[in-house]
Amino acid sequence: MTGLDPRTKIVIIICLSTLAVFLNEPWPLLLLFVFTLVVLLLMRINFFRMAMRFKKLLPLLLLMLIIQSVFTAGGEVMFSFQGVHILTTNGIHSSLCILFRLLTFFSSAMIIMTSNSKDYVLALVQLKIPYEIAFMVLVALRFLPVFIEEIRDTLVAMQLRGIDLQRIPWRHKIKFYTHLFAPLLSSVMLKAHQLAITMEARAFRIYRRRTYLRLLQYRVADYVVMGFFVIATIAVLTRGFLY
Amino acid sequence: MAYIELENVSFCYPGQSRPVLREINLSILNKGVTAITGANGSGKTTLSKLLTGILLPTKGRIKLNGQLLTSLTLTQIGRQIGYVFQNPDKQLFCETVEEEIAFGVRNLGLPPDQAAQKVREVMDYFELTRHAQAYPLSLSAGEKRRLALAAVFALEPGLLLLDEPTTGLDPYRKKLLGDYLDKMLAAGRGVVLISHDQKFINRYATRLMGLQDGQFIEE
Repeated sequence: MTGLDPRTKIVIIICLSTLAVFLNEPWPLLLLFVFTLVVLLLMRINFFRMAMRFKKLLPLLLLMLIIQSVFTAGGEVMFSFQGVHILTTNGIHSSLCILFRLLTFFSSAMIIMTSNSKDYVLALVQLKIPYEIAFMVLVALRFLPVFIEEIRDTLVAMQLRGIDLQRIPWRHKIKFYTHLFAPLLSSVMLKAHQLAITMEARAFRIYRRRTYLRLLQYRVADYVVMGFFVIATIAVLTRGFLY
Repeated sequence: MAYIELENVSFCYPGQSRPVLREINLSILNKGVTAITGANGSGKTTLSKLLTGILLPTKGRIKLNGQLLTSLTLTQIGRQIGYVFQNPDKQLFCETVEEEIAFGVRNLGLPPDQAAQKVREVMDYFELTRHAQAYPLSLSAGEKRRLALAAVFALEPGLLLLDEPTTGLDPYRKKLLGDYLDKMLAAGRGVVLISHDQKFINRYATRLMGLQDGQFIEE
């Protein structure tokens, strides 16, 4: 499945994400997540290795699930404190839905990694999206790791100049994190300006018609996979899984 | 005793099979100017990041003042080693030039009047006073480099680690930097200089090390 057309991959992601949005029960959402893992396996993506990179976000996810569970009223009360219902069956139901929904979003987004970013620009252009917009998507993908590295460097620089981010209280920590945005914003503006000049210097948009060295071609496998995903998505959405 | 000691240090970036640095053994004292030279991609900047604890060795160990670098936080390392990045933009994050220099000085625990005095002195020395209220990232490349140097010099670390410090400096400011290095040496502090500027190295280095393909080839 790694050799599929990028447009087919975009359709797969849209189908999986749409299902994750509309399904509203933990079991179907769990099934959808397992199915997404199977798709990743077929595309030779190691989900668990990728997920480990985001392990620092786990406490945030856990906190979100707890808040969701506490603030969803109704159902059978499982735990209460001084008359306040802390844990209810509806709360657990709701937080499980969110957990599986987020996992499906996260894992389906990984499919994007199996093709080159240039292929996605071609795919978007061939889907009749203006080249300027497709190019902007490419630039965003290209610069994301650069910005992440810049944030890391600024954090290192702050620590080397005496700020122990592990030890200072949260209210102070937030103040120091604001220091990250000034250089980042400045860097984004500067890079955008430089990129605009470079692009114009290389005749960007000088002619209305743009030609491409390579064009994407659908294969039989693309039609089969796309057909399967679209039909399956419509079938699931119209077959009473919606609550 | 060596200020920094590297024992059989190797480093390989994640996802790469070829190590950037191989079996490095090195002792650096906090006196004199140790210059490290080498071609692009020879591992100089990686070595500087290992010395400051930004990267951790994949093999071997590094000691700072007898303590394992892995047992220290970046904050603790920053008190002992002043690191000036190759690209100064990466270490400027405050709203004004004055704030940028004061950021580290305030963390030293000095009384406010002494801290303010120190900031003024450093700004004067690096001829940054007239830019005191300017936004650091709007300065010219040379001014930004001077500011990055000033912000680190203000902390008076035991050892200064400068990655390509002369890039973008005019001859007069290179001399100024050299004079400051002399001042650091006179105060009993050491400097590690990573540079391609042969003239500057010849003038100030007391020890010269050549890095090639991740190993020291000459000293």
